[in-house]
Amino acid sequence: MTHASTRPRRVSPAEVRSRVGEPDVKKRDKTLDHIGVYARRFIAHAPFLTMATADAEGRADCSPRGDYPGFAKVLDDRTLALPDRPGNKIADSFRNLAENDGIGLLFFIPGVRETLRVNGRAYPTDEPDVLARMQTEAKRPVLALVVEVDEVYFHCGRALVRSRLWDPGSQALADEMPSAGEMAAAQFAPGADPEAFDRRLEDAYRKLY
Amino acid sequence: MNAPMQQTVVDHIDRAAEDVVSLALRSASGPLAPWEPGAHIDLALPNWLTRQYSLCGDPADRGSYRVAIRNERLSRGGSEYIHRFLRQGRTLGVSLPRNHFRLEPAPAYLFLAGGIGITPLLPMLRAAAASGVPADLVYAGQSVATMPFADELRSSYGDRVRIVATRRQGRPDLAALASALPPGARVYCCGPPAMLAEAEAAFPAGRLHTERFHPAPKSFAPNEEFEVECARSGQTLRVPADESLLDVLTHAGRPVGSGCREGVCGSCEIAVLDGEPEHRDDIGAPQGRMYPCVSRALGPRLVVDL
Ligand code: FES
Repeated sequence: MTHASTRPRRVSPAEVRSRVGEPDVKKRDKTLDHIGVYARRFIAHAPFLTMATADAEGRADCSPRGDYPGFAKVLDDRTLALPDRPGNKIADSFRNLAENDGIGLLFFIPGVRETLRVNGRAYPTDEPDVLARMQTEAKRPVLALVVEVDEVYFHCGRALVRSRLWDPGSQALADEMPSAGEMAAAQFAPGADPEAFDRRLEDAYRKLY
Repeated sequence: MNAPMQQTVVDHIDRAAEDVVSLALRSASGPLAPWEPGAHIDLALPNWLTRQYSLCGDPADRGSYRVAIRNERLSRGGSEYIHRFLRQGRTLGVSLPRNHFRLEPAPAYLFLAGGIGITPLLPMLRAAAASGVPADLVYAGQSVATMPFADELRSSYGDRVRIVATRRQGRPDLAALASALPPGARVYCCGPPAMLAEAEAAFPAGRLHTERFHPAPKSFAPNEEFEVECARSGQTLRVPADESLLDVLTHAGRPVGSGCREGVCGSCEIAVLDGEPEHRDDIGAPQGRMYPCVSRALGPRLVVDL
């Protein structure tokens, strides 16, 4: 727990500006208002993204979405669509988007250090032509999210370089984490069998669509 | 149990018609597996999707395969990828050829192609011409610009080929073709569902061979739960009404290769040792075989060779 007396001190916006400078002016030059050819190629090869939304009060939420590369469909150069898959808990995002349609997406391609940022506004759809393009393993999602794109830009790779995110050696970090079952049992069901949790989770992971 | 793959390199990508490209896939090492007209392969794309395409090149060429792909308006990620993102020089895994659309011996042939359905018929026509068997092709498409290989066909086979641009000329009259069919002739048809349905109505079933890219509309009795025993491992699994046998096998760690998951490609074929399968595929499963992506069981239990 953080107590008031030990909470790190807050720096005022003016002071922040004086220390780190004005927001990157170059960013504006790199930003497109549509999905250009390289962004489109990036999206076609990205199996993973994070999605940020916020509710009317500005309470923010960020969640992962993943599928085969190109699961985010480019409908035209200003519109994207994302499938709602089981376990994606897109409902949380839908709740936020109903109040506040702003959305921020960050696309990743394994092995590529740069990431692609797409910001815009989103709403749910059940348009059959959109859902048809998302059919996988003979299953079609019930809903999809349409993203109307405002900003598209590549983010430099320093964060991924520093984090060694794609370095296979980095996977040794996983050994330092208890299994999901151990954590769930300890936090929410003391006395429960962590291995049973893990087995159920593995079963659920096998059924992805 | 996934079929062995052959490594190929995308040698070139050519525009074959409006919204159609043809791919030449060169072997990355040694000769490619042999095939006969009517065969198709699975292409393992860089975006992890697997798609089936009919081989439309020359079976005598053991160094490369040719396929042609239409950019589907509602692409689920396969044709769109090939049209927009696939690059020359990329290596691609390709399955061994499979054939559910063999050219049976006959004194004469009539080939009916609709649009991209020309692909499996192209090598058939060549084979028939090479062996001197009379063969005619009726090739329908919306307009000549959308029809791959139309020029090549006209120049090689002259008036044995009839090109029908349906937007101007309307659809070919299959009933008329049926009444003019030489005795003993076999009909091979590949095209959109409407054309296949018309062919099925016009020609006697025993002489008509069809290949589908999409499943035929059908209806079945409601799904029932059944049990499947995997003979080799002794494992018995429950197949709930709302899950396919293929999914149940895969989730239980008995992965079966799969491609279309619609009962048209044949890549998920398994052997049935006991029990009566309820075949729902469009391939026509050989005796003792089934396609678990769509097919289920007539009785309470199946024993499969897995
Ligand atoms: S996966 Fe194509 S027939 Fe089963």
